[in-house]
Amino acid sequence: MKNLDSVFAAYLFAWGIFFFYYLSVARRASALRDELKHLKDSLNRGK
Amino acid sequence: MSLLSNTGALLGKELRTEFRSLELLTTTVVFILVIIVLFSFTFDPTSSESRRFGPGLLWLAFLFAASLMLQPCFLREQTNDTLSALRLSVGDPFAIFLAKLCANTLFLLFTELLMLPLFAVLYNVNILPAFHWLLLVLFLGSLGVSLAGTALSAISAQARMRELLLPLLLLPLLTPVLVASTEVTVGLLDRNPYMQWKGVGFLATFDLVFLTALWLFGEHLLEE
Amino acid sequence: MAKHALGSAVVVLLVVAAAYGAFFIAPTDVRQGLIYRILFLHVSSAWTGLTAFFICFVGNLMYVWRRTPQWDWLGTSAAEVGLAFTTVVLVTGPIWAHPVWGIWWTWDARLTSTFVLWLLYVSYLLLRTLVEEPDRRALFSALFGVFAFLDVPLVFGSIRWWRTQHPQPVVMGGPGSSLDPTMWKVLFFSWIAMLGLMTLLLLARYKLEAMRGDFEVVRREAEAA
Repeated sequence: MKNLDSVFAAYLFAWGIFFFYYLSVARRASALRDELKHLKDSLNRGK
Repeated sequence: MSLLSNTGALLGKELRTEFRSLELLTTTVVFILVIIVLFSFTFDPTSSESRRFGPGLLWLAFLFAASLMLQPCFLREQTNDTLSALRLSVGDPFAIFLAKLCANTLFLLFTELLMLPLFAVLYNVNILPAFHWLLLVLFLGSLGVSLAGTALSAISAQARMRELLLPLLLLPLLTPVLVASTEVTVGLLDRNPYMQWKGVGFLATFDLVFLTALWLFGEHLLEE
Repeated sequence: MAKHALGSAVVVLLVVAAAYGAFFIAPTDVRQGLIYRILFLHVSSAWTGLTAFFICFVGNLMYVWRRTPQWDWLGTSAAEVGLAFTTVVLVTGPIWAHPVWGIWWTWDARLTSTFVLWLLYVSYLLLRTLVEEPDRRALFSALFGVFAFLDVPLVFGSIRWWRTQHPQPVVMGGPGSSLDPTMWKVLFFSWIAMLGLMTLLLLARYKLEAMRGDFEVVRREAEAA
């Protein structure tokens, strides 16, 4: 079928963008969670 | 009429400050001249090509110049903290914006009117037949640029990388001004000049929207 | 946790169903053949991006009025999510244009306007990285966000007018130009699916921003101690 590859490419790119965005948010959240825990621990130790 | 009298007083201050040294106007004029000359290398400036590309390049030059010229608008108020003094001296902070807006529009118009005949000579374009309409477009376009630029310079003055930030914030926002001004100017510089009122309508709408936005939100831009 | 997993599952199902509809339920277009099916992805992403930017606008207005950080978190999250959807629009546009017109980019009205929209909100996010003080950052980005959103109809309107002066190949015809009722239904369903996806991404991004807020509070506590 003509242009089927283009249509597939469009959907793949789109889902890829959404997926990588979600991954980036999850990664940032995980890093922040770790930093927050580390900070809270050092705060408690200080107390 | 306290707003008007405050605005008048502050506008006087802005104009006096600039005309004392003229450094902003002279550097802006020379900058536009440099761009106009550089643009001539990017296409073959025959008469018909100039009529096609000239207006867009001219307005682009004005926009670039404005994004640099508007930098000191609020930046210079940071030395000696004169902004606090200004805020205390007026009841309505909108007066500060109104004064700076008028000053910036006047400065822009001044540089544009200076550059227009030069542009006409360098690019062999006839600006005389529709000169009065050109004035209208220049005014509405400059007002739009000043409206957005004055507001955003209040933001960029307090940010890092302000020299890059102001153009970055300002230029996309001014897309309607560039599009409408260019299109109307193309019509006015045609061999048989014609007026495109829809473009003028866009410019007037942009000016009205942003004037209202500045009136509604301007005081927040000047918060401590 | 279970609610979140259920919600994610529903969204994934919706998105897959929308893709199925786009490929198998929507009838073939006589003029453009298979390639027009990108429309269901392209147009629904555009509408969803604008919806996200509208949510950003609401967050910005509310922040200027209320000054509670939650509105700033909403504004920032919605701007980023909107940018993701707008990026999809800008990527699928050329993928559609190339087989049909033989060129990757055509400065047609909607693509050009979408590009400017994209630049506006990239600037919004860049502004946030360049203002140090959190309250100032929230206020300035909220104000710029308001100006940017007010500019959006002017951008789209003026560029569309400009294009009537200088016609160019139009990517996909206008939305709603010669779409039959089944296509409309599939398009609408695609939009619902995209809105679900937008909500999912928005929630995740909002939680991240809320955590950043907590982090700031704890960090200030640590510095004071």
